[in-house]
Amino acid sequence: MSLHSAPVVAPVANALRPQADEPLLRLDGICKRFLTVTALANVGLELRRGEVHALCGENGAGKSTLMRVMSGQLQADEGQIVFKGEATRFSSSRDAEAAGIAMIHQELNLVPHLSVAENIYLAREPRHGLFIDRARLHADARKCLARLGIAIEPTAIVHTLSVAQRQMVEIAKALSIDAEVLIMDEPTSSLTESETGQLFTVIAELKRAGVAIVYITHRLDEMARIVDRVTVLRDGRHVSTDDFAATTTDEIVERMVGRSLDEKFPPRTSTPTSEVLMSVSGLSRRGAFSDVSFELRRGEILGFSGLMGAGRTEVARAIFGADLPDAGTVRLGGQPLRVRSPRDAIRCGIAYLSEDRKGDGLAVDMTVAQNVSLANSAAVANPLGFIRFGQEDAVAQRYIDSLGIRTPSTRQIVRLLSGGNQQKIVIAKWLFRDSRVLFFDEPTRGIDVGAKYAIYGLLDKLAAQGIGVVLISSELPEILGMTDRVAVFHAGRISAVLDTRKTSQEEIMHHASGRGAVTASTS
Amino acid sequence: MTDTQKDLFQKFAALGSLLALTLVFSLVSGAFLSVGNGMTVALQVTSIAYLGIGATCVIITGGIDLSVGAILALSGVVAAMAVKAGAPVPVGMFAGLVVGALCGAVNGLCVTVLRLPPFIATLGMMLVARGVALQITDAKAIGGLGDSFAELGNGSLWRIVKIGTDGFPDVTFPGIPYPVMLMIVLAVAVSILLRLTTLGRHLYAVGSNSEAARLSGVDVRGVTLFAYVLSGLLAGLTGCVLMSRLVTAQPSEGLMYELDAIAAAVIGGTSLSGGIGTISGTVIGAFVIGILRNGLNMGGVSAFIQQIIIGLVILLTVWIDQMRHRR
Repeated sequence: MSLHSAPVVAPVANALRPQADEPLLRLDGICKRFLTVTALANVGLELRRGEVHALCGENGAGKSTLMRVMSGQLQADEGQIVFKGEATRFSSSRDAEAAGIAMIHQELNLVPHLSVAENIYLAREPRHGLFIDRARLHADARKCLARLGIAIEPTAIVHTLSVAQRQMVEIAKALSIDAEVLIMDEPTSSLTESETGQLFTVIAELKRAGVAIVYITHRLDEMARIVDRVTVLRDGRHVSTDDFAATTTDEIVERMVGRSLDEKFPPRTSTPTSEVLMSVSGLSRRGAFSDVSFELRRGEILGFSGLMGAGRTEVARAIFGADLPDAGTVRLGGQPLRVRSPRDAIRCGIAYLSEDRKGDGLAVDMTVAQNVSLANSAAVANPLGFIRFGQEDAVAQRYIDSLGIRTPSTRQIVRLLSGGNQQKIVIAKWLFRDSRVLFFDEPTRGIDVGAKYAIYGLLDKLAAQGIGVVLISSELPEILGMTDRVAVFHAGRISAVLDTRKTSQEEIMHHASGRGAVTASTS
Repeated sequence: MTDTQKDLFQKFAALGSLLALTLVFSLVSGAFLSVGNGMTVALQVTSIAYLGIGATCVIITGGIDLSVGAILALSGVVAAMAVKAGAPVPVGMFAGLVVGALCGAVNGLCVTVLRLPPFIATLGMMLVARGVALQITDAKAIGGLGDSFAELGNGSLWRIVKIGTDGFPDVTFPGIPYPVMLMIVLAVAVSILLRLTTLGRHLYAVGSNSEAARLSGVDVRGVTLFAYVLSGLLAGLTGCVLMSRLVTAQPSEGLMYELDAIAAAVIGGTSLSGGIGTISGTVIGAFVIGILRNGLNMGGVSAFIQQIIIGLVILLTVWIDQMRHRR
């Protein structure tokens, strides 16, 4: 392949063929192995112009590997890629992009210290001889962003943008290369409701322009709004491809997990006590949240709902000592709490599971066992600080079994495991710490249905043991399905504390958007 | 070759090149593979090894220590000046070690409290320590330190000497020099610390992901400070041993030693981005450098060519190591 940056013109021979039923892109019998693990076994996929094609499967089913083969980041061991009727080989993602196949990653690939425009046209900058043509760079970027209907200045520096805005920049970047195939990996996982709507408008626009979109998501509820066809993968094999209208989400889920799932949420076995475990009053941190007060009872699951940036995560981090609050008091079991660092908080029995597991939840170069014991290494060591390896392995094995972590051994490097399994390791780390209060920040983000169900079951079990659980979540069904009460955040304040059984999705949204009357109705 | 074999091959690349070097040099020069020369090489390697052990700990936390060459000079001259001033040798050397540890502590505090990048913090210390060493000695060497000062660097254990029939002493076994003994003890001790203790585990965790470590309750500041203090302390020890071996304290001693130490760690597989590294690797790395120097010397290769070869070896081994970690 040559490295044109101009859109590739379809070969002449191709123009003579009937185009109507010719798929834009076809993958045939793709096989890919890593060491001894077979990631893809004889997988096929067809993409038509102007369709949104959902790709579903549990973590480790092979979705990401297949997409990396399609976008040139990996080369298949066997099988072929037929693009516009021609068998093609992409030796790099640059190759694939030049042909018109672009991928938007779940973990965004932007250079944080460059501007939006510079990122969109990175390595393809318009030039005046030796120098960058800044005027054109900004004009082109503005045009590109306008097409998406987003108000981001092309001169804005990327690290000052929110995650959602960065995602939009990634999409703009893909569009700027005139992509005919666009792969989106969990594009909505960090977007708010309204931003998701905006994204879907853009997707509809792209469909009309004839772009084929592969859409990977774990949020089956949002597929109905945009998806035309859906392909399910399981254990590296193709299971089914259907018109979305001809199938149901239940069928899709069944094919993904290979068994039927009757319930999305396990039944709650725990009932909250009336004993107040932790009480927070007047907690403030400049620029993040102000005057936050709430109570957490023993054995209760309290939801933190609200839009991203409304202060949910910030409050949890402040109580945990990761960022110190400016004012306010926290009492645990009636005793005032002095927390200057996460160390102090952990010693007092407070744990916080970060929403960004790779960024600050896991040491990915270390092993499963080392990560599990990291927050409580004294418990697997003798008084002199020598680690008892047998005990450490036994502890890790216990959580591997009880949480169903899929790993070859306790000595496996965490980097090589899938997202859901990594999340379970973070959870195991805190379970091993025997905490009294557990903050779960988006514990099910980016993980599959089966693992989600297991984590919900675990939350319930923890609450039944008398632990106070705080579930921070952007997914309202999760809040409604799992919590006893829900504190709704708006613009750095708690706008309402609602009894989950007596509330509805609409009421929570109402308070989250700041339109609700500020009347707290506690049970 | 399967991927597993490739991995094994690359894992032992450093050890393999060490054995290959030994083989080549012993074929080229008959005198290379002898007990006497072995002890010479081991003795020459000790400085790089002490410093390399400290460097490994610092690099595992994701830092770097450029100041050890200067610290060793300062510690050495402080020890010598104390002895000159009438202090007993152990007291003088203890003073040298304390100076080294203090310099390391300042490095650590600059990194943890002032949040300076390790490169800058230790670059500053490199200039300050060297400057102080030159200033307090007027840039002159301190000699006439006496036999007891020379004992640590020149004595050895299990030296077997027979008095021959002609009345002259006959050395049947040169003994194991104290610096070599010390190197073995240190390597084993720090290796145990890194592999078997929670402190060692936390060093790796800080280098692998310091934010995750902090949120898991690891005392990131304390752990980082420990690494720099250890590196400074080992630099102080290197200074004492080196000056004792020469029976002279030179304020300009140890120039560029920090780079040898970092090279030894890196050849041994320590990752400059933190979280990965072993003491055994670093000791192998130190020996690769030491044997190259010794063997090339015996082969009559000029010092300039030696530099070129060692530079190339560093590039080659690190490249192989990169291949191993690339996915």
